[in-house]
Amino acid sequence: MTDNFEFTDKLKKNLFIMMGIGLLGLVYVFLLYPENSHARLWSNILANTYYFTGIGLFGMFAVAAGTLAYGGWHILVKRIFLSLSGFLRVGGFILAAIVVLGLLNVHTLYDGVKHIIHEPVVTPNHTTKVIFFAPVFWVSRVFVYAFLWLGFSWYMNKFFARTDQTDPKVYKHSKLLAAAFIVMFALTESAASWDLIMSMDPHWYSTLFGWYNFASYGCAAWAMTILLVIYLKSLGYLPKVNENHVHDLGKLLFGFSIFWTYLWFDQFMLQWFANIPEETSFWVKRFGHGYFKFTIFLALIVNFLFPLIFLIKRGNKRNFKIVGFGSALLIFGHYVDFFNYTFVEPNWNKVAVEEAREAKEHALNKSETVVLYAQAAEKKEEVAGVTDATPVVENREAVATEVKKTEGESKGEAIEGEKTDGEEEAPVLNYASINIGEVLVFIGFLGAFLFAFFNNLAKHPITPESDPYLKECEKLTVTYS
Amino acid sequence: MSAASTTSNKFVVGLWDHEEVYLHAIEHIRHKGIDIYDSLTPFPVHGLEDALGYKESRLHTAGFFFGATGMTLALTFMSWVMTTNYPINFGGKPYWPVPSFIPITFELTVLFSAWGMTLTYLVRNKLWPGRVPRIYDKRTTDDRFALVFDAAKLSDADISSIKDVCKKEGAVEVKDKVFAENEGL
Repeated sequence: MTDNFEFTDKLKKNLFIMMGIGLLGLVYVFLLYPENSHARLWSNILANTYYFTGIGLFGMFAVAAGTLAYGGWHILVKRIFLSLSGFLRVGGFILAAIVVLGLLNVHTLYDGVKHIIHEPVVTPNHTTKVIFFAPVFWVSRVFVYAFLWLGFSWYMNKFFARTDQTDPKVYKHSKLLAAAFIVMFALTESAASWDLIMSMDPHWYSTLFGWYNFASYGCAAWAMTILLVIYLKSLGYLPKVNENHVHDLGKLLFGFSIFWTYLWFDQFMLQWFANIPEETSFWVKRFGHGYFKFTIFLALIVNFLFPLIFLIKRGNKRNFKIVGFGSALLIFGHYVDFFNYTFVEPNWNKVAVEEAREAKEHALNKSETVVLYAQAAEKKEEVAGVTDATPVVENREAVATEVKKTEGESKGEAIEGEKTDGEEEAPVLNYASINIGEVLVFIGFLGAFLFAFFNNLAKHPITPESDPYLKECEKLTVTYS
Repeated sequence: MSAASTTSNKFVVGLWDHEEVYLHAIEHIRHKGIDIYDSLTPFPVHGLEDALGYKESRLHTAGFFFGATGMTLALTFMSWVMTTNYPINFGGKPYWPVPSFIPITFELTVLFSAWGMTLTYLVRNKLWPGRVPRIYDKRTTDDRFALVFDAAKLSDADISSIKDVCKKEGAVEVKDKVFAENEGL
């Protein structure tokens, strides 16, 4: 059989170049803001590792779900789904290492959690968090995920490459394996999202965060599969995969994009409406900062509006160019989504934020508006003692006009003041942004991910010849005249 | 898809017992230029629309417009109530709180498009209550795949050639079906 993918030296070289670019990017973001404990570097590593690990996990989930549902549509791309999990075998351990290094004070990503652990005053809300984030429990949890993911990735790749899958015993075994994976996946991916991402802002919580992450890297996994199918077809592999299979993948990509938006909106709307300070602070931090407001809307536009407008049409999902472009865009869009979660918290310029807060409070206390309103209240009390309420109203109006006058004056003063010390630059409130360093690191991780993918794919034949559903998948040809 | 409206009541019905043979038979019969009046299967067959040469259904376009109606209705009604008719301050939120409209808008969009599409489908296929349908063969709901040919305007020679073609293509049974005047129309 010549059905095995040939991992050519040229491709290897290109991927190594990508990884080299990533290393350059890591050095660049390391040097970028040393005053902030190099948090930019660690945010980059965490965001990318989590993102690509999630894509790998989702690849295995797609196979497990298809197997459990007696599905036949995905058999021709089954090996691609399984091979996505190549990076996961390392990724799980990198994530565990990030947690350990955080606890060893190497970086500042999990300072919020450390603060909770060492907080002298334990409020009722914090008692459970103190138990949940006890260092031994926390670290052992992330290592359990890493080992489970490694084990399942290794075993599922090996199992589904067997040549005797039509044997009833093996067939039954595949269902058991898929069921076990689904249970493991549901527990670990949810808990991993709390342990690794939600813990960066430990006072904030969202009960659907596990789902939300699932939907986000789910989209990316479908998109990645579509791109890889198109690439492998251009190399002459997967001759039997046609636009019907890509159409199915495109439908899932579209559906997951809408699912992602649904969860995004749920998370936002409930917290916006309930207005509980612990929850709302998360959104105030993002919508109150110009750059994060931009990235949040960028993620929404790319991940929701684009699929809604361009991927809803049947013809577009069957057109390799449009669906390929959309997939690339969505991979970027969901990176931006994870950026909004992993970069914001550790990259605050804590000194500048504190100064800005103090200045605001100071200004509020000293502002003439407040003083005038206080005076008005005093006057009102005096007047109310002597006469009825009508003069108070007049008095209030008088105060209001006075307030307007003084506000205008103070504005004028402020402008003058700005002119005098306009030389000073406003301090950066947050060091996070998506610039050249992030792009380079992303390319590097993509290279590592693809290297693991192709390495995994080359080990076994691309088409699972012995799969009982193979013929059903090959027959999938529906074209309207 | 159901039969187009016609007053014809004389048909030739061919019955197959296997999906694959049936699909190939349709392709060959259409290739010979014979018009197929209707096709009845006990379950949805992959690729049948393609084999019959049907155009893509326009039902989803109708669904889009039903959904758009529901969305517009929900948004305008809630906006009118919350801003003009009965403005109430809910927990300090604005009088026009758009994010809190979205779940209801979504539900009404889905409701309108689902009901609209279902009713359109039923009306288009003449499946309203009290209608007596034309049954070509009862076994098409169990284990037989049927092809129906309109025989009203065909000569006897044509009918016998259709029957021959069906048998050659693996039909297990070919029969004439004549309905009473205006039965099930």
